[in-house]
Amino acid sequence: MQLGRRLRRGKESAALRALQASALALSGMAQVASADSPIDRVYTSYSFSYYDEDEIEDSKGLPNADRERYSVSTHQAMIAAPLTDRLDFSLEVTHETMSGASPWYTAPDAAGAPIQVLSGPTIEDERNDFLLTTNYYYDNARMGVTTGYSSENDYDAINLSFDGETHFNEKNTTLSGGIGMSYDQIEPTDPELDATRPESEKKQTYFLNVGLAQILNRRSVVQSSVSYAFGTGYLSDPYKKVFRFGGTFFPDERPGDRHAISWLTRYRRHIEEFEATLHLSYQYYIDTWEVSSHTIEVAWYQSYGDNLQITPNVRYYTQNEADMYVGYLPITANGSGEFSSDYRLSTYGALGLGLKGEYTFRTGWFTDIEWTAKLSYERYLSSGDLAFSTPSVEAPGLVSFDVFSVGFNAKF
Amino acid sequence: MRRIALCALALVLSGCGTFSWPGSELPDYAEYTEEPKSYLEICLEHDYLLRVKPWERAVLSRTDMAWVPDPLEGARRGHTFFSKEATMPGGSAGGGGCGCN
Repeated sequence: MQLGRRLRRGKESAALRALQASALALSGMAQVASADSPIDRVYTSYSFSYYDEDEIEDSKGLPNADRERYSVSTHQAMIAAPLTDRLDFSLEVTHETMSGASPWYTAPDAAGAPIQVLSGPTIEDERNDFLLTTNYYYDNARMGVTTGYSSENDYDAINLSFDGETHFNEKNTTLSGGIGMSYDQIEPTDPELDATRPESEKKQTYFLNVGLAQILNRRSVVQSSVSYAFGTGYLSDPYKKVFRFGGTFFPDERPGDRHAISWLTRYRRHIEEFEATLHLSYQYYIDTWEVSSHTIEVAWYQSYGDNLQITPNVRYYTQNEADMYVGYLPITANGSGEFSSDYRLSTYGALGLGLKGEYTFRTGWFTDIEWTAKLSYERYLSSGDLAFSTPSVEAPGLVSFDVFSVGFNAKF
Repeated sequence: MRRIALCALALVLSGCGTFSWPGSELPDYAEYTEEPKSYLEICLEHDYLLRVKPWERAVLSRTDMAWVPDPLEGARRGHTFFSKEATMPGGSAGGGGCGCN
């Protein structure tokens, strides 16, 4: 009530600010419960990132084998622009080059503990990904269509999704929803080299989500959404196999269906006293492979004046192993059933620590352009010790990596 | 006897001793000046949930208040976590691709 009175007293200055604020509210990428009109400026962005995995530890790899793992160089570019007063679009293009070695199977050492055998540093691949989104705006709602295509030497995926949102409660509450599908085809390289490797397989993924966002006050907003995803077809990994004690192998064999539910809640709060914005998010996930996971993320966007922003972030992730996860099979195993020794299906926890710096400045070269230069670093550490529940055996292939990223945005 | 009568009178006056027929404790509909409000409406009227007017949204429209302030970074991180963790994304955030390695 006090706030209301203060606002009424300052009505004139509030009205003066109205034009500025509503112009801001309608501008660009601010996806906060106000997206009822197309973006009003052309937004372009470019980013280069280098992802580098740590070498596998001596105690967890084969003696005298190469320790090097995977690295990825990623170029991303994006343009978003208004088309009419009801329509806008965005195009996102990604080009990645991947190289290095990848976990192949795990086998017991002399003491019976699993060690990770890598594929050898022979992988050379490229991925190109295109994502085109078009949004149509009604007076009180938005509808979007996204189509995408991703291509690698051995993998092609096309995807299509529809999403929308509508506002009510004087645009303080936003109901959003989406539905989408992806059709993927894999043709593993060198199938003749390994009997466990298929020649060609397909999979489909479908998802559905619904969310509700609520503006709590002039500085904070919360959103909660529930997603259902369904994967069917070949959900295994053709480049992995499972070791049976005694020296024989079986293919990585996972169920042909997977149903998953995730519940994500996000909170944003701007704290004027500190010139900072707090981001909090939590996601709970559960699926029919008996994987469950928790993801907690906190970021602090600290502004220093109008130009500089430094953002530290912490991400914690923990998951329980899938029911088909095994380190290796006993000699009595006959190969029937489902099993995988992919470290990604094991019980572990991961901690991500990131730091990002952004510097914004304007130039008036041929039009008023607002530039933002970005630099970021993220460290990701995973281990059985970081998990909520103690793993029966820690997967030897758990990955830790660094990501360096540099880029810029420009708004015309 | 007089004391007992006084006690009974006090009970009746205080309401404890009053007998009421079932349903009669509800006030007449005519006593309402407007339609009764639902709990949701009452909650939304609370001070903390002020309805924020369009001209009060300067802070909410800041880039750093967006769900995904940097779309390229969001897409890249989403794809990395999709490739390295067992959680299957419930949206297109992970982007296409195998994520096999």
